[in-house]
Amino acid sequence: MENALLIGLSRQVALGRELDVIANNMANVTTNGFKARSSRFREYLMPVASAESFPRPDRRLSYVIDAGTPLDIRSGAIEHTGNPLDVAIKGDAFLAVQTPAGERYTRNGALEIDAQGQLVTSDGHTVLGDNGPITFTPQESGFEIAPDGTVTSNQGQRGRLRLVRFDNPQILHNEGTNLLSAPNGGQPAGATSRLEPRAIERSNVRPVVEMSRLIEVNRSYSSVAGMVGRMDELRRTAISRLADNG
Amino acid sequence: MRALHTAATGMMAQELNVQVISNNIANLRTTGYKRQRAQFQDLLYETLRRPGSQTSDQGTVLPAGLEIGSGVKTGSTPRVMSQGNLTSTEKEYDLAIRGEGFFRIRLPDGRTGYTRDGSFELDGQGQMVTREGYIVEPAITVPQTAKGVTISAQGQVQASIPGQTQPQVLGQVQLARFVNKAGLESMGDNLFLETPASGPPVDGAPGTEGYGNLQQAYLEEGNVNAVTEISSLIAAQRAYEMNSKVITAADQMLSSTTNMFRG
Repeated sequence: MENALLIGLSRQVALGRELDVIANNMANVTTNGFKARSSRFREYLMPVASAESFPRPDRRLSYVIDAGTPLDIRSGAIEHTGNPLDVAIKGDAFLAVQTPAGERYTRNGALEIDAQGQLVTSDGHTVLGDNGPITFTPQESGFEIAPDGTVTSNQGQRGRLRLVRFDNPQILHNEGTNLLSAPNGGQPAGATSRLEPRAIERSNVRPVVEMSRLIEVNRSYSSVAGMVGRMDELRRTAISRLADNG
Repeated sequence: MRALHTAATGMMAQELNVQVISNNIANLRTTGYKRQRAQFQDLLYETLRRPGSQTSDQGTVLPAGLEIGSGVKTGSTPRVMSQGNLTSTEKEYDLAIRGEGFFRIRLPDGRTGYTRDGSFELDGQGQMVTREGYIVEPAITVPQTAKGVTISAQGQVQASIPGQTQPQVLGQVQLARFVNKAGLESMGDNLFLETPASGPPVDGAPGTEGYGNLQQAYLEEGNVNAVTEISSLIAAQRAYEMNSKVITAADQMLSSTTNMFRG
């Protein structure tokens, strides 16, 4: 009888987690370059004392635990902004960014130029080119990023954005502030990924999917709650009946 | 339940987004206005299972991690410093910049402000000033008798003075440039201030490369695109609603938990 409560509890904990994941996706529905996460669950079979001699042997208890939150690496919608320093990535590559904590990767292509003339992210982290940071002098203007990542100004070519891809993008770890980290770095993207100049990749959160998942989580949670409630009633009735007979 | 707080950060972010959009729409007709855009970032993640962590002695690793984010924050609201349209005003002291420079304005407190709004006038002393009466640097004084003031694309101010056959040069308009224009601080009244992020101003004459040409009797409109702003507004409003639904759902789940046991 306790087991039914605990199995219900395991489901509720898992649903609570799924709700957290949905809430984070929904909160980031307008975050540029954001990649949604989904929830994956796993059955956990609990060995119990079993009596093999019965015609139908005892079954093991089946709990649910959350196994992972895989990254949805689908591309977000590409929106043309007309801003010469905005760039969207077509394909599965990421921009490489130098942060104090090491190399990080992002899909947020809203780039800017800092006071030193370096190409940076909106957080001020240096965007890496094939030969290190890309720097402009104050006299330069007419910035342009070509589809192959070449950055030019009116003074000519200034470098090429370093695009990195990962064989297994699931290895990427969210660092917050639109940055991802990978334990072993990535490979150069090569010609598979192209850039869309003067555009930004929006969040890939699909609100319709998230809303329907939200409803599903909400309903399952209440139905489990109802089940646990009935279990409790059952136990209460059992106790009172047994007490009456005693 | 974390979802409540996560959705609250989402609602706050969209509220700010609507503020930025409404400010852009309010300044649809402001001369020299540069629109802002809100940029959001995801918050820290709680890593419950790290991807790539070992799952057995045989060296098998976890293919995907279990990471739960805690919402969104506003990273910055940079200005988009793109060129606005030029409209003809037929006023001789109206100047528009076609390019990247800024006019230098001497503020009453001694600091220098920078603006793209070239709707200048003359004050009682014949000095070229902004609508607020702040002096345009370097100061240009137009004598009372001067007629037919022309300002060339290179910023040279000329006027014909009665009794002189040649037009007289009255001064030269200078522009300033910044390596990072988006880093300028806005102080209202269409004025910007230099910041450590913008880098120091680099002065130059209009017409030199990168500074842009002047256009007399024209003004630069704001670079706000009404259609884009309205569609962003709709998107922001819907995103706000959806986040509020998450709060409702989290609340319902909590309430079904508390109602589980009827004691």
